Amino acid sequence: MSRVWRTPARLIVLLGLLLHPSYLAALDVPPLTGRVVDLAHVLPAQDTQQLSDQLKVHEENTGNQVAVLILPSLEGEPLEEFSHRVATTWKLGRKGTDNGVLLLIALKERKLRIEVGYGLEGTLTDLRSARIIRQEIVPRFKAGNIPEGVRAGTDAILKTIEGTYQAADDAQRPPSVDSNAFESVVIGIVVGFMAGLILSQGLRRARALLGAVLSFMVAQAASVLWGLAAAGATALLLWLVLGTVGGQQRRRRSDDWAWYSTGGGGWSGGSSGGGFSGGGGDFGGGGASGDW
Amino acid sequence: MGKGLIVLIGFLMTATLGSCGYNDLQGLDEDTKAAWSEVVNQYQRRADLIPNLVATVKGYAAHEKETLEGVVEARAKATSVQITPETLKDPVAFEQYQKVQAGLTSALGRLIAVAENYPNLKADQNFRDLQSQLEGTENRITVARKRYIDRVAEFNKMVRYFPTNLTAKFMLHMDEKPNFTVADEKAVAKPPEVKFN
Repeated sequence: MSRVWRTPARLIVLLGLLLHPSYLAALDVPPLTGRVVDLAHVLPAQDTQQLSDQLKVHEENTGNQVAVLILPSLEGEPLEEFSHRVATTWKLGRKGTDNGVLLLIALKERKLRIEVGYGLEGTLTDLRSARIIRQEIVPRFKAGNIPEGVRAGTDAILKTIEGTYQAADDAQRPPSVDSNAFESVVIGIVVGFMAGLILSQGLRRARALLGAVLSFMVAQAASVLWGLAAAGATALLLWLVLGTVGGQQRRRRSDDWAWYSTGGGGWSGGSSGGGFSGGGGDFGGGGASGDW
Repeated sequence: MGKGLIVLIGFLMTATLGSCGYNDLQGLDEDTKAAWSEVVNQYQRRADLIPNLVATVKGYAAHEKETLEGVVEARAKATSVQITPETLKDPVAFEQYQKVQAGLTSALGRLIAVAENYPNLKADQNFRDLQSQLEGTENRITVARKRYIDRVAEFNKMVRYFPTNLTAKFMLHMDEKPNFTVADEKAVAKPPEVKFN
């Protein structure tokens, strides 16, 4: 009896799911599978890898998150709306700093857009984005060379942010990124050192555990600020401070914990390839669109 | 039984008090104000671009007097409307602001449409730069409006739903905030097609 009812019931459920509004709704934001999401498969694997690496290095140096999305089609969605939706869903850039950029290319509609986060609007202005599109990307796209256009465009974007882009007639202001990174390292080390000192004076039992947790947290914070090196330095410093004040047993345990915290710091600092995810950045609609 | 009942009542009272929404309403009020200032900022940014734009177009299409004057007038109107924090509490003032900005949007649309017929103007670097800045600002306006609309919708819901409406009315004296009738005014204010044979 139950068997008779099963098949039609399944069909009904299936139909219901297929006809559900969500399937008929707007184009979905694709998953963030990496820094270069090429859903149209126009980039040769080598280019994708090279681009990815270039963007990764830029993020490690500056903290900015730049991503590229190539779509076969927008499927009727307005370009700016979709671009903003993708950028805010992927949350490129750090929360609060909002230093994210999205380069979106829709092949069928022959449209593209550079979506700039709040934090980078001052350097990668609407004007500069428009010029990059006009001068670097569109001519190459028009000549039929998509990979080259994407490469040149991304290059120009990164250079504009770094202040080294040579446009036709543009005066660039070099951004003060390096001083920030240095400050972060100094802060990380000082905080780590002070934390270590405080802990070595404090409670006995929980000391090792507290020290580990704190050094881990500080390492995390430091790595967010400046990657592997700072995290390692902070953890090492904490370990040294904790280790030198006290006995053999404590030193050994601090050893273990320091290793974990360096490992932890390392893990969060080295967001390589598959581990790429947005940092919570926001976008206000800045940037420029173009077509070819 | 007695003790349990008291505990239960105490729990329910705390839960209801917590959900009376005092803090939530304050928070949403602030969010709405912030979203509103973002909208106003972007509109101001747009107004700032216009004198340059008009001057550049004049250089190539001086006899398009009507269109050019239309933009200048619309801009004057838009910047003359005083925006104060009170605007958010006054639906009439809000409506007025929305109107003048929409007027400027259509005047600008006409100007850009007319400019399409002057290839030298279109090729002018200055004009292109201004155009991209204008487009960028228009996009930001759209985003800011959308965000404002969302915030206000949240706020207004709280002001109307029970029991937070009681808090809104009697404790905070907060009322519903005015909202934009359209998110993307540019899509609605389509410029008329200007064709020359």
